[in-house]
Amino acid sequence: MSSHREAPAISKDPVADNTDTYAFVSPDDPSTVTIISNYLPLEAPFGGPNFFEFGDDVRYDIHIDQTGDGEPDITYRFEFNTQVANPNTFLYNTGQIDSIDSPNWNRKQFYSVTRRSHGNEVVLASNLACPPCNIGPASTPDYEALAEEAIHQIGGGRTVFAGQRLEGFYVDLGAIFDLADLRPFQNLHIATMMAAAPGVNATNDFSVHSIALKVPKRELARGGWTPTDPTDRRSVIGVWATASRRQALIREPRTGVSVENGPWVQVSRLGNPLFNEVIVPMGKKDVWNSLPPADDGEFLQYVQHPELAGLLPVLYPGVFGNLAALNAARADLVAILLTGLPSGIVPGFQNYTGKTYADELRLNMAIPPTTTNPSPLGVIGKDLAGFPNGRRVFDDVVTVELRAIAGATYPLVNSNYTPDGAASLITDGLGPNSTRYLSSFPYLGMPQSGYQTAPLAMV
Amino acid sequence: MSDLSRRSFVKNSAGAAAGMTALGALIASRAEADTKAGSDPVVAYLKDPSSGEISVMTGDREVTVRDPKLAAQIARAAR
Repeated sequence: MSSHREAPAISKDPVADNTDTYAFVSPDDPSTVTIISNYLPLEAPFGGPNFFEFGDDVRYDIHIDQTGDGEPDITYRFEFNTQVANPNTFLYNTGQIDSIDSPNWNRKQFYSVTRRSHGNEVVLASNLACPPCNIGPASTPDYEALAEEAIHQIGGGRTVFAGQRLEGFYVDLGAIFDLADLRPFQNLHIATMMAAAPGVNATNDFSVHSIALKVPKRELARGGWTPTDPTDRRSVIGVWATASRRQALIREPRTGVSVENGPWVQVSRLGNPLFNEVIVPMGKKDVWNSLPPADDGEFLQYVQHPELAGLLPVLYPGVFGNLAALNAARADLVAILLTGLPSGIVPGFQNYTGKTYADELRLNMAIPPTTTNPSPLGVIGKDLAGFPNGRRVFDDVVTVELRAIAGATYPLVNSNYTPDGAASLITDGLGPNSTRYLSSFPYLGMPQSGYQTAPLAMV
Repeated sequence: MSDLSRRSFVKNSAGAAAGMTALGALIASRAEADTKAGSDPVVAYLKDPSSGEISVMTGDREVTVRDPKLAAQIARAAR
Protein backbone atom coordinates (compact mmCIF):
# COMPACT_ATOMS: atom_id res chain seq x y z
CA MET A 1 0.00 0.00 0.00
CA SER A 2 1.02 3.58 -0.03
CA SER A 3 3.06 3.07 3.09
CA HIS A 4 0.91 0.92 5.34
CA ARG A 5 3.12 -1.57 7.18
CA GLU A 6 5.66 -1.08 4.41
CA ALA A 7 8.82 -1.93 6.33
CA PRO A 8 9.58 -4.78 8.73
CA ALA A 9 10.16 -2.68 11.84
CA ILE A 10 7.36 -0.14 11.46
CA SER A 11 4.87 -2.85 10.54
CA LYS A 12 5.03 -3.82 14.22
CA ASP A 13 4.44 -0.27 15.45
CA PRO A 14 1.17 0.98 13.94
CA VAL A 15 0.85 4.05 16.17
CA ALA A 16 3.99 5.47 14.57
CA ASP A 17 3.38 4.07 11.09
CA ASN A 18 2.88 6.92 8.61
CA THR A 19 0.55 5.50 5.96
CA ASP A 20 -0.05 8.39 3.58
CA THR A 21 0.93 12.01 3.19
CA TYR A 22 -1.04 14.50 1.12
CA ALA A 23 -0.26 18.09 0.13
CA PHE A 24 -2.46 20.17 -2.13
CA VAL A 25 -3.78 23.67 -2.66
CA SER A 26 -7.07 23.70 -0.77
CA PRO A 27 -9.77 23.56 -3.45
CA ASP A 28 -12.25 25.61 -1.43
CA ASP A 29 -9.66 28.04 -0.06
CA PRO A 30 -6.96 28.42 -2.71
CA SER A 31 -4.89 30.91 -0.74
CA THR A 32 -4.00 28.00 1.53
CA VAL A 33 -2.33 24.61 1.33
CA THR A 34 -3.61 21.55 3.16
CA ILE A 35 -1.22 18.88 4.34
CA ILE A 36 -2.46 15.60 5.81
CA SER A 37 -0.37 12.83 7.33
CA ASN A 38 -2.07 9.59 8.29
CA TYR A 39 -1.07 6.98 10.84
CA LEU A 40 -2.42 3.69 12.24
CA PRO A 41 -2.97 1.60 9.13
CA LEU A 42 -6.07 -0.51 8.58
CA GLU A 43 -8.06 0.45 11.65
CA ALA A 44 -11.00 -1.90 11.84
CA PRO A 45 -14.11 0.13 12.71
CA PHE A 46 -14.95 -2.31 15.51
CA GLY A 47 -11.90 -1.31 17.53
CA GLY A 48 -13.20 -1.62 21.08
CA PRO A 49 -12.66 -1.79 23.91
CA ASN A 50 -9.41 0.09 23.32
CA PHE A 51 -10.28 2.27 20.38
CA PHE A 52 -7.50 3.68 18.25
CA GLU A 53 -5.60 6.81 19.22
CA PHE A 54 -2.34 8.63 18.59
CA GLY A 55 0.71 7.74 20.66
CA ASP A 56 1.49 9.99 23.59
CA ASP A 57 5.05 8.70 23.26
CA VAL A 58 5.35 9.50 19.55
CA ARG A 59 6.40 12.80 18.03
CA TYR A 60 4.54 13.49 14.78
CA ASP A 61 6.14 15.98 12.40
CA ILE A 62 5.19 17.52 9.07
CA HIS A 63 8.23 18.95 7.28
CA ILE A 64 8.54 21.61 4.60
CA ASP A 65 11.63 21.97 2.43
CA GLN A 66 11.72 25.43 0.85
CA THR A 67 15.21 25.27 -0.62
CA GLY A 68 15.49 21.84 -2.19
CA ASP A 69 18.26 20.52 0.04
CA GLY A 70 16.22 17.64 1.45
CA GLU A 71 16.26 19.11 4.95
CA PRO A 72 13.31 20.77 6.71
CA ASP A 73 13.07 24.55 6.73
CA ILE A 74 9.77 24.41 8.61
CA THR A 75 8.47 21.65 10.86
CA TYR A 76 5.00 21.46 12.36
CA ARG A 77 5.12 19.20 15.40
CA PHE A 78 2.11 17.47 16.93
CA GLU A 79 2.38 16.02 20.44
CA PHE A 80 -0.47 14.18 22.15
CA ASN A 81 -1.55 13.42 25.68
CA THR A 82 -4.34 11.13 26.80
CA GLN A 83 -6.50 11.83 29.81
CA VAL A 84 -8.47 9.07 31.49
CA ALA A 85 -11.35 10.35 33.59
CA ASN A 86 -12.12 7.10 35.37
CA PRO A 87 -9.50 4.33 35.41
CA ASN A 88 -11.85 2.04 37.33
CA THR A 89 -13.99 1.11 34.36
CA PHE A 90 -13.08 -0.86 31.26
CA LEU A 91 -15.30 1.36 29.14
CA TYR A 92 -14.11 3.88 26.53
CA ASN A 93 -17.40 5.68 27.12
CA THR A 94 -19.86 5.30 29.93
CA GLY A 95 -22.77 6.79 28.01
CA GLN A 96 -23.59 8.70 24.89
CA ILE A 97 -20.89 11.10 23.64
CA ASP A 98 -22.80 14.15 22.45
CA SER A 99 -19.87 16.59 22.49
CA ILE A 100 -16.11 16.25 22.56
CA ASP A 101 -16.03 17.45 26.17
CA SER A 102 -18.73 14.99 27.22
CA PRO A 103 -18.08 13.50 30.69
CA ASN A 104 -19.29 10.20 29.24
CA TRP A 105 -16.16 9.96 27.11
CA ASN A 106 -13.67 8.35 29.42
CA ARG A 107 -10.51 8.49 27.37
CA LYS A 108 -9.96 11.84 25.73
CA GLN A 109 -6.92 12.87 23.75
CA PHE A 110 -5.45 16.36 23.36
CA TYR A 111 -2.54 17.75 21.41
CA SER A 112 -0.28 20.70 20.89
CA VAL A 113 1.01 22.17 17.64
CA THR A 114 4.49 23.67 17.51
CA ARG A 115 6.12 25.39 14.55
CA ARG A 116 9.88 25.13 14.22
CA SER A 117 11.92 27.01 11.66
CA HIS A 118 15.68 27.48 11.60
CA GLY A 119 16.06 27.20 15.37
CA ASN A 120 12.97 29.22 16.27
CA GLU A 121 10.21 27.32 17.98
CA VAL A 122 6.71 28.65 18.61
CA VAL A 123 3.86 26.77 20.25
CA LEU A 124 0.92 27.64 18.02
CA ALA A 125 -1.74 25.97 20.14
CA SER A 126 -2.12 23.49 22.97
CA ASN A 127 -4.84 21.42 24.65
CA LEU A 128 -6.61 20.95 21.34
CA ALA A 129 -9.21 18.22 21.55
CA CYS A 130 -9.33 15.20 19.26
CA PRO A 131 -12.69 13.62 18.45
CA PRO A 132 -13.49 10.14 19.73
CA CYS A 133 -13.50 7.20 17.37
CA ASN A 134 -16.78 6.47 15.64
CA ILE A 135 -18.26 3.75 17.81
CA GLY A 136 -21.90 3.36 16.82
CA PRO A 137 -25.35 4.93 17.05
CA ALA A 138 -25.68 4.32 20.78
CA SER A 139 -22.37 5.94 21.68
CA THR A 140 -21.67 8.48 18.93
CA PRO A 141 -25.05 9.15 17.29
CA ASP A 142 -23.96 12.41 15.64
CA TYR A 143 -20.38 11.68 14.75
CA GLU A 144 -20.24 14.38 12.09
CA ALA A 145 -20.94 17.01 14.75
CA LEU A 146 -18.23 15.58 17.02
CA ALA A 147 -15.69 15.72 14.22
CA GLU A 148 -16.74 19.27 13.37
CA GLU A 149 -16.07 20.29 16.97
CA ALA A 150 -12.54 18.96 16.60
CA ILE A 151 -11.65 21.33 13.74
CA HIS A 152 -9.66 24.10 15.37
CA GLN A 153 -8.72 27.54 14.10
CA ILE A 154 -5.39 28.29 15.76
CA GLY A 155 -4.62 31.78 14.52
CA GLY A 156 -2.57 33.03 11.59
CA GLY A 157 -5.09 31.60 9.16
CA ARG A 158 -4.20 28.07 10.26
CA THR A 159 -6.69 25.24 10.79
CA VAL A 160 -5.94 21.85 12.32
CA PHE A 161 -7.67 18.54 12.92
CA ALA A 162 -6.30 15.36 14.46
CA GLY A 163 -8.38 12.24 14.78
CA GLN A 164 -10.00 9.29 13.10
CA ARG A 165 -10.92 9.53 9.41
CA LEU A 166 -12.07 7.15 6.71
CA GLU A 167 -9.15 5.78 4.71
CA GLY A 168 -8.90 7.74 1.47
CA PHE A 169 -6.24 5.61 -0.20
CA TYR A 170 -7.57 2.79 -2.34
CA VAL A 171 -5.67 -0.21 -3.60
CA ASP A 172 -6.21 -3.84 -4.53
CA LEU A 173 -3.75 -5.01 -1.95
CA GLY A 174 -4.70 -8.66 -2.22
CA ALA A 175 -3.98 -8.70 -5.94
CA ILE A 176 -0.84 -6.57 -5.99
CA PHE A 177 0.96 -8.65 -3.41
CA ASP A 178 -0.22 -11.88 -4.99
CA LEU A 179 2.62 -11.63 -7.52
CA ALA A 180 1.20 -8.40 -9.00
CA ASP A 181 -1.82 -10.32 -10.28
CA LEU A 182 -3.80 -7.22 -11.28
CA ARG A 183 -7.37 -8.40 -11.68
CA PRO A 184 -8.21 -6.37 -14.82
CA PHE A 185 -5.24 -8.04 -16.54
CA GLN A 186 -5.09 -11.37 -14.76
CA ASN A 187 -6.03 -13.15 -18.00
CA LEU A 188 -2.52 -12.19 -19.13
CA HIS A 189 -0.73 -13.09 -15.88
CA ILE A 190 1.69 -15.99 -16.08
CA ALA A 191 0.48 -17.68 -12.88
CA THR A 192 -3.30 -17.49 -13.02
CA MET A 193 -4.74 -16.69 -16.46
CA MET A 194 -8.16 -16.19 -14.82
CA ALA A 195 -10.72 -14.04 -16.55
CA ALA A 196 -10.25 -10.31 -16.14
CA ALA A 197 -12.16 -8.88 -13.20
CA PRO A 198 -12.69 -5.55 -11.46
CA GLY A 199 -10.34 -4.52 -8.68
CA VAL A 200 -11.18 -5.05 -5.02
CA ASN A 201 -10.43 -2.21 -2.63
CA ALA A 202 -8.57 -3.68 0.32
CA THR A 203 -8.90 -0.52 2.42
CA ASN A 204 -12.67 -0.25 2.08
CA ASP A 205 -14.33 0.70 5.39
CA PHE A 206 -11.02 0.85 7.24
CA SER A 207 -9.97 4.02 9.01
CA VAL A 208 -6.76 5.82 9.84
CA HIS A 209 -5.79 8.57 12.24
CA SER A 210 -5.18 11.81 10.38
CA ILE A 211 -3.27 14.93 11.24
CA ALA A 212 -4.55 17.68 8.94
CA LEU A 213 -3.11 21.16 8.74
CA LYS A 214 -4.26 24.04 6.55
CA VAL A 215 -1.95 27.04 6.35
CA PRO A 216 -1.67 30.12 4.13
CA LYS A 217 0.61 29.59 1.15
CA ARG A 218 2.72 32.57 2.16
CA GLU A 219 3.66 30.77 5.38
CA LEU A 220 5.16 27.92 3.37
CA ALA A 221 6.85 29.77 0.52
CA ARG A 222 10.42 30.95 0.84
CA GLY A 223 10.61 34.50 2.17
CA GLY A 224 6.89 34.73 2.91
CA TRP A 225 6.21 35.16 -0.78
CA THR A 226 2.73 34.51 -2.15
CA PRO A 227 3.18 32.06 -5.03
CA THR A 228 1.47 33.17 -8.21
CA ASP A 229 3.96 32.24 -10.94
CA PRO A 230 4.22 28.48 -11.63
CA THR A 231 7.61 28.96 -13.27
CA ASP A 232 9.14 30.55 -10.16
CA ARG A 233 11.20 28.08 -8.11
CA ARG A 234 9.91 29.68 -4.92
CA SER A 235 6.45 28.37 -5.77
CA VAL A 236 7.60 24.80 -5.13
CA ILE A 237 7.87 23.23 -1.70
CA GLY A 238 8.85 19.71 -0.68
CA VAL A 239 6.66 18.01 1.91
CA TRP A 240 7.08 14.86 3.96
CA ALA A 241 6.02 13.57 7.36
CA THR A 242 7.79 11.59 10.02
CA ALA A 243 7.19 9.90 13.35
CA SER A 244 9.84 9.63 16.04
CA ARG A 245 10.23 7.72 19.27
CA ARG A 246 12.63 7.99 22.18
CA GLN A 247 15.89 6.16 21.74
CA ALA A 248 15.51 3.95 24.82
CA LEU A 249 12.58 1.97 26.16
CA ILE A 250 12.74 0.19 29.49
CA ARG A 251 9.85 -2.00 30.57
CA GLU A 252 9.66 -2.08 34.34
CA PRO A 253 8.66 -5.55 35.51
CA ARG A 254 5.48 -6.19 37.46
CA THR A 255 4.26 -2.60 37.10
CA GLY A 256 2.80 -2.25 33.61
CA VAL A 257 4.97 0.85 33.37
CA SER A 258 7.52 1.67 30.69
CA VAL A 259 10.14 4.38 30.75
CA GLU A 260 11.15 6.04 27.49
CA ASN A 261 14.22 8.12 27.45
CA GLY A 262 16.84 9.81 25.33
CA PRO A 263 16.82 11.75 22.07
CA TRP A 264 14.00 11.37 19.60
CA VAL A 265 14.78 8.91 16.82
CA GLN A 266 12.91 8.89 13.53
CA VAL A 267 11.13 5.57 12.92
CA SER A 268 8.79 6.37 10.03
CA ARG A 269 8.89 8.67 7.01
CA LEU A 270 6.65 9.32 4.05
CA GLY A 271 6.87 11.66 1.10
CA ASN A 272 5.86 10.12 -2.21
CA PRO A 273 3.38 7.27 -1.95
CA LEU A 274 4.80 3.77 -2.41
CA PHE A 275 8.44 4.88 -2.38
CA ASN A 276 9.55 2.76 0.54
CA GLU A 277 6.89 0.20 -0.27
CA VAL A 278 7.89 -0.84 -3.78
CA ILE A 279 11.12 0.99 -4.62
CA VAL A 280 13.33 0.33 -1.60
CA PRO A 281 14.37 -3.31 -1.08
CA MET A 282 13.38 -5.12 2.09
CA GLY A 283 16.85 -5.09 3.61
CA LYS A 284 16.98 -1.28 3.48
CA LYS A 285 13.42 -0.27 4.33
CA ASP A 286 14.04 0.18 8.03
CA VAL A 287 17.10 2.35 7.53
CA TRP A 288 15.24 4.39 4.91
CA ASN A 289 12.59 5.14 7.53
CA SER A 290 15.29 6.53 9.83
CA LEU A 291 16.85 8.96 7.34
CA PRO A 292 16.00 12.45 6.08
CA PRO A 293 15.24 12.97 2.38
CA ALA A 294 18.65 14.59 2.03
CA ASP A 295 20.18 11.10 2.22
CA ASP A 296 18.05 9.60 -0.54
CA GLY A 297 20.96 9.60 -2.97
CA GLU A 298 21.77 6.28 -1.30
CA PHE A 299 18.61 4.87 -2.89
CA LEU A 300 19.05 6.36 -6.36
CA GLN A 301 19.85 3.01 -7.99
CA TYR A 302 16.50 1.57 -6.90
CA VAL A 303 14.67 4.44 -8.60
CA GLN A 304 16.80 4.25 -11.73
CA HIS A 305 16.27 0.50 -12.00
CA PRO A 306 13.08 -0.37 -10.11
CA GLU A 307 12.60 -4.05 -9.36
CA LEU A 308 8.96 -3.96 -10.46
CA ALA A 309 9.93 -2.79 -13.96
CA GLY A 310 11.92 -5.98 -14.33
CA LEU A 311 9.12 -8.15 -12.98
CA LEU A 312 6.26 -6.90 -15.17
CA PRO A 313 7.61 -8.43 -18.42
CA VAL A 314 8.14 -11.74 -16.63
CA LEU A 315 4.72 -11.82 -14.97
CA TYR A 316 2.89 -10.70 -18.10
CA PRO A 317 4.68 -12.54 -20.95
CA GLY A 318 4.55 -10.76 -24.28
CA VAL A 319 2.86 -7.68 -22.85
CA PHE A 320 5.79 -5.51 -21.86
CA GLY A 321 8.34 -6.18 -24.59
CA ASN A 322 9.57 -2.61 -24.87
CA LEU A 323 9.88 -2.31 -21.12
CA ALA A 324 11.92 -5.51 -21.03
CA ALA A 325 14.37 -3.96 -23.49
CA LEU A 326 14.61 -0.68 -21.55
CA ASN A 327 17.85 -1.01 -19.63
CA ALA A 328 18.73 2.66 -19.26
CA ALA A 329 18.53 4.42 -15.93
CA ARG A 330 14.99 5.70 -15.44
CA ALA A 331 15.54 9.46 -15.47
CA ASP A 332 11.76 9.92 -15.65
CA LEU A 333 11.24 8.20 -12.30
CA VAL A 334 14.17 10.09 -10.79
CA ALA A 335 12.52 13.36 -11.82
CA ILE A 336 9.06 12.35 -10.60
CA LEU A 337 10.21 11.00 -7.25
CA LEU A 338 13.55 12.55 -6.33
CA THR A 339 14.07 15.97 -7.95
CA GLY A 340 10.77 17.14 -9.37
CA LEU A 341 10.04 17.79 -13.02
CA PRO A 342 12.02 20.68 -14.53
CA SER A 343 10.39 23.23 -16.82
CA GLY A 344 10.02 22.14 -20.43
CA ILE A 345 8.96 18.55 -19.73
CA VAL A 346 5.24 19.05 -19.17
CA PRO A 347 3.83 22.25 -20.74
CA GLY A 348 2.96 24.87 -18.13
CA PHE A 349 4.35 22.87 -15.24
CA GLN A 350 7.43 22.36 -13.13
CA ASN A 351 8.03 21.22 -9.59
CA TYR A 352 11.81 21.02 -9.70
CA THR A 353 13.62 21.59 -6.44
CA GLY A 354 17.22 21.14 -7.58
CA LYS A 355 19.81 18.43 -7.93
CA THR A 356 19.53 16.96 -4.45
CA TYR A 357 17.90 13.55 -4.63
CA ALA A 358 15.16 13.63 -2.01
CA ASP A 359 11.89 11.74 -1.75
CA GLU A 360 9.43 14.56 -1.12
CA LEU A 361 5.95 15.42 -2.29
CA ARG A 362 6.72 18.45 -4.43
CA LEU A 363 3.90 20.93 -4.63
CA ASN A 364 3.88 23.87 -7.01
CA MET A 365 1.61 26.14 -5.00
CA ALA A 366 1.05 28.53 -7.93
CA ILE A 367 -0.89 25.87 -9.85
CA PRO A 368 -4.55 26.56 -9.02
CA PRO A 369 -6.73 23.70 -7.79
CA THR A 370 -8.86 21.91 -10.35
CA THR A 371 -12.41 22.25 -9.11
CA THR A 372 -14.27 20.91 -12.15
CA ASN A 373 -13.76 17.26 -13.10
CA PRO A 374 -10.30 16.82 -11.63
CA SER A 375 -8.48 13.78 -12.99
CA PRO A 376 -7.43 11.23 -10.37
CA LEU A 377 -4.49 10.52 -12.66
CA GLY A 378 -3.11 13.98 -11.94
CA VAL A 379 -0.39 15.25 -14.27
CA ILE A 380 -0.47 12.18 -16.55
CA GLY A 381 -4.22 12.78 -16.77
CA LYS A 382 -3.50 16.37 -17.87
CA ASP A 383 -4.59 17.73 -14.50
CA LEU A 384 -1.62 19.73 -13.24
CA ALA A 385 -3.13 20.15 -9.77
CA GLY A 386 -2.74 16.47 -8.94
CA PHE A 387 -0.01 13.95 -8.22
CA PRO A 388 2.95 14.23 -8.64
CA ASN A 389 2.24 17.91 -8.13
CA GLY A 390 1.73 17.24 -4.47
CA ARG A 391 -1.00 14.72 -3.84
CA ARG A 392 -4.75 15.08 -3.37
CA VAL A 393 -6.81 12.72 -1.23
CA PHE A 394 -8.50 11.13 -4.24
CA ASP A 395 -5.51 10.83 -6.57
CA ASP A 396 -5.05 7.34 -8.02
CA VAL A 397 -1.41 7.08 -7.10
CA VAL A 398 -1.31 3.31 -7.56
CA THR A 399 -2.29 3.56 -11.21
CA VAL A 400 -0.05 6.58 -11.83
CA GLU A 401 3.00 4.86 -10.38
CA LEU A 402 2.21 1.52 -12.04
CA ARG A 403 2.04 3.26 -15.41
CA ALA A 404 5.17 5.29 -14.75
CA ILE A 405 7.16 2.20 -13.76
CA ALA A 406 5.73 0.34 -16.76
CA GLY A 407 7.35 2.95 -19.01
CA ALA A 408 4.51 5.33 -19.78
CA THR A 409 6.50 8.35 -18.57
CA TYR A 410 9.88 7.43 -20.06
CA PRO A 411 9.17 9.40 -23.29
CA LEU A 412 9.27 12.54 -21.12
CA VAL A 413 13.04 12.12 -21.06
CA ASN A 414 13.59 10.09 -24.23
CA SER A 415 11.29 10.82 -27.15
CA ASN A 416 12.68 7.85 -29.07
CA TYR A 417 11.16 5.37 -26.65
CA THR A 418 7.75 3.91 -27.47
CA PRO A 419 5.93 2.60 -24.39
CA ASP A 420 4.16 -0.73 -24.58
CA GLY A 421 0.46 -0.37 -25.23
CA ALA A 422 -0.27 -1.81 -21.80
CA ALA A 423 1.80 0.86 -20.07
CA SER A 424 -0.93 3.44 -20.47
CA LEU A 425 -3.65 0.96 -19.49
CA ILE A 426 -2.23 -0.88 -16.52
CA THR A 427 -4.19 -0.36 -13.32
CA ASP A 428 -5.33 -2.26 -10.27
CA GLY A 429 -8.85 -1.55 -11.44
CA LEU A 430 -9.92 0.95 -8.82
CA GLY A 431 -10.84 4.61 -8.78
CA PRO A 432 -11.87 7.15 -6.20
CA ASN A 433 -15.26 6.75 -4.60
CA SER A 434 -16.50 10.31 -4.16
CA THR A 435 -18.51 9.37 -1.09
CA ARG A 436 -15.25 8.75 0.77
CA TYR A 437 -14.17 12.39 0.67
CA LEU A 438 -15.31 15.78 1.87
CA SER A 439 -15.31 18.96 -0.20
CA SER A 440 -13.85 20.94 2.69
CA PHE A 441 -11.28 20.54 5.45
CA PRO A 442 -10.18 17.93 6.51
CA TYR A 443 -11.22 16.46 3.14
CA LEU A 444 -11.03 12.80 4.24
CA GLY A 445 -14.45 11.36 4.96
CA MET A 446 -16.21 10.32 8.11
CA PRO A 447 -15.02 6.98 9.53
CA GLN A 448 -17.40 4.07 9.61
CA SER A 449 -18.69 3.05 13.00
CA GLY A 450 -18.04 -0.40 14.34
CA TYR A 451 -21.71 -1.11 14.88
CA GLN A 452 -22.55 -0.32 11.26
CA THR A 453 -19.72 -2.26 9.59
CA ALA A 454 -19.59 -5.93 8.70
CA PRO A 455 -16.30 -7.85 8.88
CA LEU A 456 -14.40 -8.66 5.71
CA ALA A 457 -15.97 -11.07 3.21
CA MET A 458 -14.60 -13.37 0.51
CA VAL A 459 -14.60 -12.07 -3.06
CA MET B 1 30.85 11.69 37.43
CA SER B 2 31.86 11.49 41.10
CA ASP B 3 32.97 8.22 42.73
CA LEU B 4 29.89 8.27 44.88
CA SER B 5 27.52 8.59 41.96
CA ARG B 6 29.51 6.08 39.95
CA ARG B 7 29.23 3.48 42.70
CA SER B 8 25.55 4.18 43.01
CA PHE B 9 25.18 3.98 39.26
CA VAL B 10 26.94 0.64 38.97
CA LYS B 11 25.10 -0.80 41.94
CA ASN B 12 21.72 0.18 40.62
CA SER B 13 22.52 -0.84 37.09
CA ALA B 14 23.90 -4.33 37.56
CA GLY B 15 20.63 -6.17 37.99
CA ALA B 16 19.02 -4.68 34.93
CA ALA B 17 22.08 -5.17 32.76
CA ALA B 18 22.24 -8.89 33.43
CA GLY B 19 19.20 -9.55 31.32
CA MET B 20 20.14 -7.37 28.38
CA THR B 21 23.44 -8.73 27.16
CA ALA B 22 22.11 -9.14 23.62
CA LEU B 23 22.54 -5.42 23.09
CA GLY B 24 25.87 -5.29 24.80
CA ALA B 25 24.72 -3.80 28.05
CA LEU B 26 21.71 -1.60 28.38
CA ILE B 27 21.39 -0.42 31.90
CA ALA B 28 18.52 1.42 33.45
CA SER B 29 18.72 3.28 36.68
CA ARG B 30 16.86 5.83 38.68
CA ALA B 31 19.15 8.81 39.03
CA GLU B 32 19.72 9.67 42.61
CA ALA B 33 22.88 11.70 42.75
CA ASP B 34 23.10 13.46 39.40
CA THR B 35 21.84 16.94 40.04
CA LYS B 36 21.34 17.65 36.33
CA ALA B 37 19.06 14.67 35.90
CA GLY B 38 17.13 15.44 39.08
CA SER B 39 14.59 12.71 39.68
CA ASP B 40 14.19 11.81 36.02
CA PRO B 41 15.14 8.28 34.97
CA VAL B 42 18.58 7.80 33.45
CA VAL B 43 19.41 5.17 30.85
CA ALA B 44 22.98 4.14 30.14
CA TYR B 45 23.80 2.21 26.98
CA LEU B 46 27.07 0.40 26.54
CA LYS B 47 27.01 -0.58 22.87
CA ASP B 48 30.61 -1.73 22.69
CA PRO B 49 32.19 -2.35 26.10
CA SER B 50 35.68 -2.41 24.62
CA SER B 51 35.33 1.20 23.47
CA GLY B 52 34.96 2.48 27.02
CA GLU B 53 32.18 4.77 25.84
CA ILE B 54 28.88 4.91 27.69
CA SER B 55 25.87 6.67 26.23
CA VAL B 56 23.90 8.28 29.04
CA MET B 57 20.35 9.41 28.27
CA THR B 58 17.92 11.44 30.31
CA GLY B 59 14.92 13.36 29.08
CA ASP B 60 15.64 14.01 25.42
CA ARG B 61 19.37 14.47 26.02
CA GLU B 62 22.18 12.05 25.30
CA VAL B 63 25.72 12.45 26.58
CA THR B 64 28.59 10.17 25.70
CA VAL B 65 30.92 9.51 28.62
CA ARG B 66 34.32 7.94 27.99
CA ASP B 67 35.26 5.92 31.05
CA PRO B 68 36.96 2.59 30.27
CA LYS B 69 37.06 1.57 33.91
CA LEU B 70 33.35 2.13 34.46
CA ALA B 71 32.56 0.48 31.13
CA ALA B 72 34.55 -2.57 32.14
CA GLN B 73 32.75 -2.71 35.50
CA ILE B 74 29.37 -2.61 33.80
CA ALA B 75 30.40 -5.24 31.29
CA ARG B 76 31.56 -7.53 34.09
CA ALA B 77 28.28 -7.04 35.90
CA ALA B 78 26.42 -8.07 32.78
CA ARG B 79 28.20 -11.39 32.44
